[in-house]
Amino acid sequence: MITPSGLAETLLWGIANGCIYILLATGLNIIFGVMKLVNFAHGQLLMVGAFVAYEVTKIAGLNPYLSIFVAMGSVALIGIGLEMFAFRRVRGTEKLNEIFISLGLIYVFENVAALFWERNYNIRIPSPLAGLSLSLGEVTIGYDQTLTMLIMIMILVGLVLLTKKTKIGLAMRATSQKSDTAMLMGININKVYILTFALGAALAGAAGALYGILFPFNPTIGALPTIKAFAIIILGGLGSIPGAVIGGLLYGIAENTAVYLLGGIWQDAVAFALLIGVLVIRPTGIFGEKGD
Amino acid sequence: MEIKTGFTGLLHSRKFHYSLVAVAFVAVLPLFVRSEYVLGHVFTVMLIFAIYASSWNLLAYSGQGSLGHAAFLGIGGFASALLAVRTGLPPIVGLLLGSFFSAGIGFLIGLACVRLKAWFLAMVTFGFSVIAVTVVSQFDAFFGGMIGFPTPTIVPQVLPFYYATLAIATLSIGVIFLVMKSKLGLAFKAIRENELEAKMIGINTGKYRLIAFVISTFFAGLAGGLYAESILFIQISIFEPYYSFLPLIMAVIGGLGTMEGPVIGSIIIVSIDSFLPLTDKYLSPLGSIFPGVSNVGPPFRLIGLGIFLILVVIFIPKGISSLLHKVYDYLREDTSKAKKIEKA
Repeated sequence: MITPSGLAETLLWGIANGCIYILLATGLNIIFGVMKLVNFAHGQLLMVGAFVAYEVTKIAGLNPYLSIFVAMGSVALIGIGLEMFAFRRVRGTEKLNEIFISLGLIYVFENVAALFWERNYNIRIPSPLAGLSLSLGEVTIGYDQTLTMLIMIMILVGLVLLTKKTKIGLAMRATSQKSDTAMLMGININKVYILTFALGAALAGAAGALYGILFPFNPTIGALPTIKAFAIIILGGLGSIPGAVIGGLLYGIAENTAVYLLGGIWQDAVAFALLIGVLVIRPTGIFGEKGD
Repeated sequence: MEIKTGFTGLLHSRKFHYSLVAVAFVAVLPLFVRSEYVLGHVFTVMLIFAIYASSWNLLAYSGQGSLGHAAFLGIGGFASALLAVRTGLPPIVGLLLGSFFSAGIGFLIGLACVRLKAWFLAMVTFGFSVIAVTVVSQFDAFFGGMIGFPTPTIVPQVLPFYYATLAIATLSIGVIFLVMKSKLGLAFKAIRENELEAKMIGINTGKYRLIAFVISTFFAGLAGGLYAESILFIQISIFEPYYSFLPLIMAVIGGLGTMEGPVIGSIIIVSIDSFLPLTDKYLSPLGSIFPGVSNVGPPFRLIGLGIFLILVVIFIPKGISSLLHKVYDYLREDTSKAKKIEKA
């Protein structure tokens, strides 16, 4: 049965799912914007974040919402390692090399995770709020979903403040515009790159912890979110944070509506069809100015 | 020494001679290797994936990196198998029609892709492979992909099929190589190096990118049809991302943009897949470190593969084939030096 309230609820839950994608896409977008780097293993960082949050909650008994910070920190450290030992080595060579490296990383991450967590297949981070929901008239939404939205907004506000109000943010913006000139102005490009990658990875870690609270996860969940995050960036335009927010919301809504109207199996296909449709009409995305 | 160009030049080139030797070597292999498993499931699969990786390589040669080539492998496989099973056409006709069908779909997807930049294209192709798998599973009554079904083969397994595959692979890789060396290939290369400049010197970039897409998807479909026949079975798992990444890994490890690269990559990767599981039993002591993992072999193998790929990209960006060229040049230099010394 398709009812107006059902549709409204689908929309609202879609927005909550969209928030996770927004975090992931924003991280990817920062890395792309500043470093012009395409990291296809970004979703694997989300997966690692989810498992770190899970272990911290389970072993240390930390509140799942506090474990988000631990996930952010540890995934940021992994990100620093990736930048220094893998991506820096192919900087300035052919663009495809970055895609190849991230593909190798996907294999490494997924299988290391499989070694450690294979027995915990499709687990969830136990949230104290699980099953509780807020009702607004006929429409209900879970507390976890509501908190996800709030956390996403907080993280994004923090990010905007960091990039717009601090010296480091200024250095990042300068590097994103023209890295050579930024270097001549005395900015340590390598430090900016490490910081940018750490920041992007931390956002993926946060997205992972939230993902683990909302959905069951396993070592192979990373691939689709990466592609979805890319789709959102394409919808919203490369390098634009507001674009990523709008793109993410649209995407989450489209996906959830497809599930509501057509059934679960169409979830990914419809979203990709939407993406392909947009790209055919506008090869640079809805809000994108230029494709490069 | 006169410089030969064009087709006759190719016939006299070193590459052509070595290719002949390689094909002859593969043709006499069954004399020495008696194991049906090795012939049917290792060598035949190597040849098929050599076609598949070469088809991906051609697309990358035109600057278009696909992340969803498994869609065309699967479309070719399902189309040729369904044609042979449902209509009773001879399997060889099914195989050809299936490849053309794959190229037709490739044409449509290519139309959507011609204006897209590298990672956008990667996204769209990946998205298409997800859509393809959804469609095949939604209309399972027609495709029968969820459980899968047995496929008829063009010639009986093992030895006749091995030789048929060898012939088809030689022909396909030869055609792909000729395309790369032709004027068409030159246009692809120009587009890959700089699309704007290619446009400025009068190359219709959209048209040529589409041509590359159609040729590539034709051979990917052909490889899919052959693959289904080689394992006598087709199932929806053929659409998995694993099969999309496979030709990419093979081409990169072997050497991007060369004829021999994808073949070398296919030999390496299929060997790893087929022979390394034999060493799993030596890894079992590690099983106690990772409780809950019944067999630590596969994850360790895939981690190794990932690290191998990263190391190749960082340290040998032109692939294993470039190493072979270096060894060859080194040896040649040595012999020419030796000759000089002899003369003196």
